[in-house]
This record gives sequence, C-alpha cells and structure tokens, in this order.
Amino acid sequence: MRVNQQVNHTVQFHLLSEEQLEEVYRAALHLMEYTGLDVHNAEARALLSGVGAWVDGVRVRLPSSVVEKALGSAPRSFTVFSRESDSSKDLHIGPGRFHYGPGPTCPNFMDPRTGEVRTYTRADARAVATVCDALPNIDFVESLGTVSDVPPAVGDVHEFAEMIAHTGKPIVAWSYAMEGCRDIHRMAVAVAGGDDASVRRPNYIFYCEPLSPLVSSKEAMDKVLYCAQHRVPLIFTPCVIGGGTGPSTMAGIIAQAAAESWLGLVVSQQLSPGTPFCMGGVVSCMDMKTMTFAYGAPELSLLQAGLTELAHYVGLPLWTTGGCSDSKVVDEQAAIEGALSVLFATFSGGDLCHDLGYVESAMTGSLQQLVTMDEAIGYVKRIARGIEVNPDTLAVNVIDEVGPGGNYLTEAHTLAHFRREFWLPSLMDRQRRETWEDRGRATMGGRAQARLTELLASHEPTPLPQEATDSIERVLTAANARAEH
Amino acid sequence: MAVFDDLKQAIISGNRAQAKELTKAALDEGIEAKKIVVDGVAAAMAVVGEKFRANEFFVPELLIAQRAMKEALSLMSGESVNHIGTVVIGTVKGDLHDIGKNLVAAMLEGAGFRVVDLGVDVSPEKFVETAKAESADLIAMSALLTTTMGSMKDTVATLDSEGLKGKVKVIVGGAPVTQSYAEEIKADGYAPDAASAVDKAKTLLS
Repeated sequence: MRVNQQVNHTVQFHLLSEEQLEEVYRAALHLMEYTGLDVHNAEARALLSGVGAWVDGVRVRLPSSVVEKALGSAPRSFTVFSRESDSSKDLHIGPGRFHYGPGPTCPNFMDPRTGEVRTYTRADARAVATVCDALPNIDFVESLGTVSDVPPAVGDVHEFAEMIAHTGKPIVAWSYAMEGCRDIHRMAVAVAGGDDASVRRPNYIFYCEPLSPLVSSKEAMDKVLYCAQHRVPLIFTPCVIGGGTGPSTMAGIIAQAAAESWLGLVVSQQLSPGTPFCMGGVVSCMDMKTMTFAYGAPELSLLQAGLTELAHYVGLPLWTTGGCSDSKVVDEQAAIEGALSVLFATFSGGDLCHDLGYVESAMTGSLQQLVTMDEAIGYVKRIARGIEVNPDTLAVNVIDEVGPGGNYLTEAHTLAHFRREFWLPSLMDRQRRETWEDRGRATMGGRAQARLTELLASHEPTPLPQEATDSIERVLTAANARAEH
Repeated sequence: MAVFDDLKQAIISGNRAQAKELTKAALDEGIEAKKIVVDGVAAAMAVVGEKFRANEFFVPELLIAQRAMKEALSLMSGESVNHIGTVVIGTVKGDLHDIGKNLVAAMLEGAGFRVVDLGVDVSPEKFVETAKAESADLIAMSALLTTTMGSMKDTVATLDSEGLKGKVKVIVGGAPVTQSYAEEIKADGYAPDAASAVDKAKTLLS
C-alpha cells in the first residue's frame, strides 16, 4: 500500500503550454470581436444581435463576453446512445475519452471486392455501416461516399436510412439542405421512439460546416438553428486550408478555425443553452506544389493536436481528423499517413476522430483503408494505455524465483498477465518466413482485403424494429416524391 | 538586353511597384511595348515557370510573380499586347467556395488570358450576359457542392439558347466535377486542377 502517490495512468501528451493555449484563445476571441465573420443568415444575425453582437450588413462581430458565455453553457461531456440495448455501443464523450469513425461525402469509392475506384451507391452505404458495426475499434459511423444511384437531392436521406438499418453504432449525419436535415431527424426520432426520447437520449450527431475564412452560409446556419431547436448534438467544423483559406502558420490556423467554429457555438447556445456542441475540425496545409489539401501531411496531426488542446482548454469536445491519406491507393504511404494521424489523435485525446478510410485527399472512400486503420488503432491504443507500475508488474519476486539464466514461459505470472500486457494483432504478421511462405505470402493489403471480405460476408447487424423500419420507409417515400418535383 | 534584367528580376521576385516603374521607364525611353513584353515580361515568366518545375518556386511565388507581371502589362494594354483570349470565370449559383476558382483565375492571367472574375454564387444568366458584354472566348465554372453542379448544365443551355454555343467555349471544374459529367452537360472541357485548366483553356482556344 502506498500513500501520497501520483501515477500516470496512460501516456501523457502535451503540445502547448497553458500560457500558449491562453494566447491562442485570446487570438480567436480577438478575431471574433474585431474582424468578425460574415453570416449569410438573417435569423442567425438577428439572434446574434440580440445577444450583444455588432452587426453591419452580413458582418457580425462578437464581444468576447458573448463568446465566453456560450463556452460556459456548452457541455464538456454528453452521451449519444446506440439504438441497440447493447450499451457498449453508446458513445460517451468526455475528458480522456476518444472515439473513431470514417468520414462522409467522398465523391468516389474503392470497390470493397475489386479495389477499383468508382461511384458510390446506396448499397455501399449499407456495406460501410455493416463493416463499421463489425470493426472492434470503430465507434461511430459515416458513409465514406455520396450516394449516386438515387435522385441527387435525396442522396443524403437514403444514405442515412441505409446506415441506420445496418449498424447499432451512432451515426454522424450530414445533409445537403434543410429538407434532408429534417428527414434525417424524423428517421432518428422514429428509431429513438419519439421526440422526447430523442431529446433526452440523442441517438445521432449532426455535422455541418462554416466556410473558411470566417464565413457562415445561409444553409449552414439554418442547420445549426434547427439542431439547436431540437437539441440534436451538433458538430460545427471548419476545414481550414493553411496557406489558402487560412494563414500559413500553425497557431493562426488554429485561432481562425476556433473563431469559425465558435460562431456556430454562440448561435446554438443562445437558441438552446446546453445543446451538446463539438468544436471541429479538419485542418491542414495546402500542398504548395499541387494545391491539394494535404490530408496526409504531418501538419494535419500537429494542427489537430493543437486544436484538440484548445478545445479542451475552453471546455469543449473536439471533432478531430485522422486515419486518412493523400495516396491514391492503400499502400505504404496510406499506412504511414493514416497510422501517424491516428496516433496523434489518440494521444491528444481528440474526442471523435473521423475520416478514417479517406484516401486520395478525401476524393475516395476506402473500406480497405478503414480496416487497416482499425488495426492501427488497436496498436496505438496499447501504447496509449501506458505502463502500470506496482509490485505485481515490477515482478521482483518472480524475477527472483526464476533467477539468473531461467525462463518465464510457464510461470503463473506470465500466464496471468501476457494477454493483457501484450497486444494481440489481428492483421499484422509476425510469422517466420517459412510459415509465411507456406501460407501464401500474404501482405498487409491482402490480409486487410480478406478481413473486409469476411466481415461483409458474415457480419449481421441487429435489425431495426419493424415500426422504425416502416417510419423510415414513409420518410423516404415522401422525400422521393419531393425529389420528383 | 541588360535593360530588361532589372525588370525581369522585379517580376521574378514579385516586386509589383518596381515592375511597374521599370516598365514605365522603358516605355518613356521609347522602347516598343511588344519588345518589353517578349524580352522582359515573357522572359521573366519563363524563368518563373522553370523554377516552379524545379521545385524552387511553389504556388505562392508563382502567383506573386504573376501579380507583378500583371502590373507591368497594365501599362501596355491598348498597345500591341495580345491576350490569348478572354475568360469569364466564377463559382456557380448557390456555392460560395472560391479558393480553387481563384487559383485558376490567377493561373489563367499568368498564362496571358484576360480574366473577368465574377466571384461566387454566379447565376447562369450572369455568366452568359457577362460573356456577351466582354466578348469572352471562354466561360469557366467551378463548384464544390454536388447540389450546385446542376447550375453548370443551365449555363450551357442558356448559352445555347442565345446562339453562342461553340462561339463561347465552356470549361468546368471542382472536386465533384468529372470528365464524364462535363461530357454529359455538353461542356467543352474539364480540368482536375488549375495548371491543367490553363492547358485545357489554351487547347480549346487554339
């Protein structure tokens, strides 16, 4: 037994000091108060004016006290509930906890059987949800594509309908326009069992974005207002392209991103104080040769970590990014870029890490990459878990008994601990060469593909109750009819 | 000519004020505008292009040099300086994303096009009216949102109904836009990025 002892329960990671975070925070407030943001939504502007903002045309400037009040009202922790009674699929967002999932809206999709890059269909939304449901290290679901085989205006609604039927893990939804936002909410409410149930125990998160630099479109604000009104947990996530739509210095990118995200915070908290709100987002540099937004760059990891620390500093959860790559294929580059960003997202504790499975700088969604990243997460989680120091783990008595020149393989202590101390890979290969050759010389890519194929063939998500299915069908029918006109 | 060494350097290093000053000085000395363009401005941009290819210069240096080039050329428009063509460019109706479009506009200017930038949220009517008013050779449209892409089809249709199809070419781009979409809406061209947009524009106008 010990007394007066402090331990590091996990890996400790610190990027910015408190003083640095305070300075970045002050810079974001400064931008909001003295530069302001363009808000292309009259209702939002009126609301902001009512709470003390200065409004000149579309330009809104918020005194720092207004922002600080909103920061105070948004919760640091909240739960999003699985539609299944299995509570292990609930998403508990709060200090020290981190979760992973794919990303939405890629224009292209890597065929889960052939690897060919093609357009994305409704059937793919089902496949992605199924695989996410099965993968042990994936906690929430997004589609990795844009449904193209339904009327374009209702692709978002069809995507949500397919996904919610094939996974019990919470979905992070998005929509083109307000009609889709409302339809998705109707479906989620039907699954939750009514409006009241949906408010008290939300079962999905809604995601929308400002436009860098410092702009919020009418549609984005409409969605923020709607989500606040219905108390839907909301992510308002900027995508700042360093050097293009943001400055080229890391600290400035973070300050600008924070200002953009907090505009959504103030609006949501003013309309409905306490609405769960995630700051975001997706920040990296523009590659100055190709003009690509570099999803695989080390700057992404660095910026996301800084943004995470700022979010936690002001008491907000962060929607972060990782597991993504600029590579056109799931190759060594995709593995390095994806694994390293997963590592940093984990270490910084970014609450919800999305875009796992993105390749080609978000142009293509890949389940092969997602499966690979699932393995990387397992690997990283073991490191993040840290080292436990106590008499049992120091094992001095065991070492003494085994003595110089002995071996530990059959020790009771080894048997008692090795399964928890040593991570057991599912995909990484450690066989001897001869065995590896005899068994077909499989590469990581081959093994990930085999795993994907097997999951798609064998995993059976818990179906929705018939009543929910019927409600969803009604919403889809109405949406399709609307699309015809 | 040594007299152009300073002008070339000013453009290469992106010094707008100096580029303008030196061009004015050359014109005041009686040097032909065409000669200034070929031996001064174009020569400078050739060096810039080389440095870009060699990974010495990147996009910011390229754009800044082009801006200085534009300053120099502004003193000579109306003289015997030929633009390759006139382009009307914008982000389509309902869409506010413009960083890609801005890059294409800057690259097109750098390549010698006269560019009329309509900004964002541009209706099909506005594209076509402006193209007529400016005697444009090319309309260039950008979209980031799949929901706004449809506006590109409307612009092509409006152009057609005004009898301008074929006389004014149309080029499209943006993350969700593809070659097959461009063909589907009967645009004349598609480009995946700013550099190839310039090549495509040149090809279409040749």
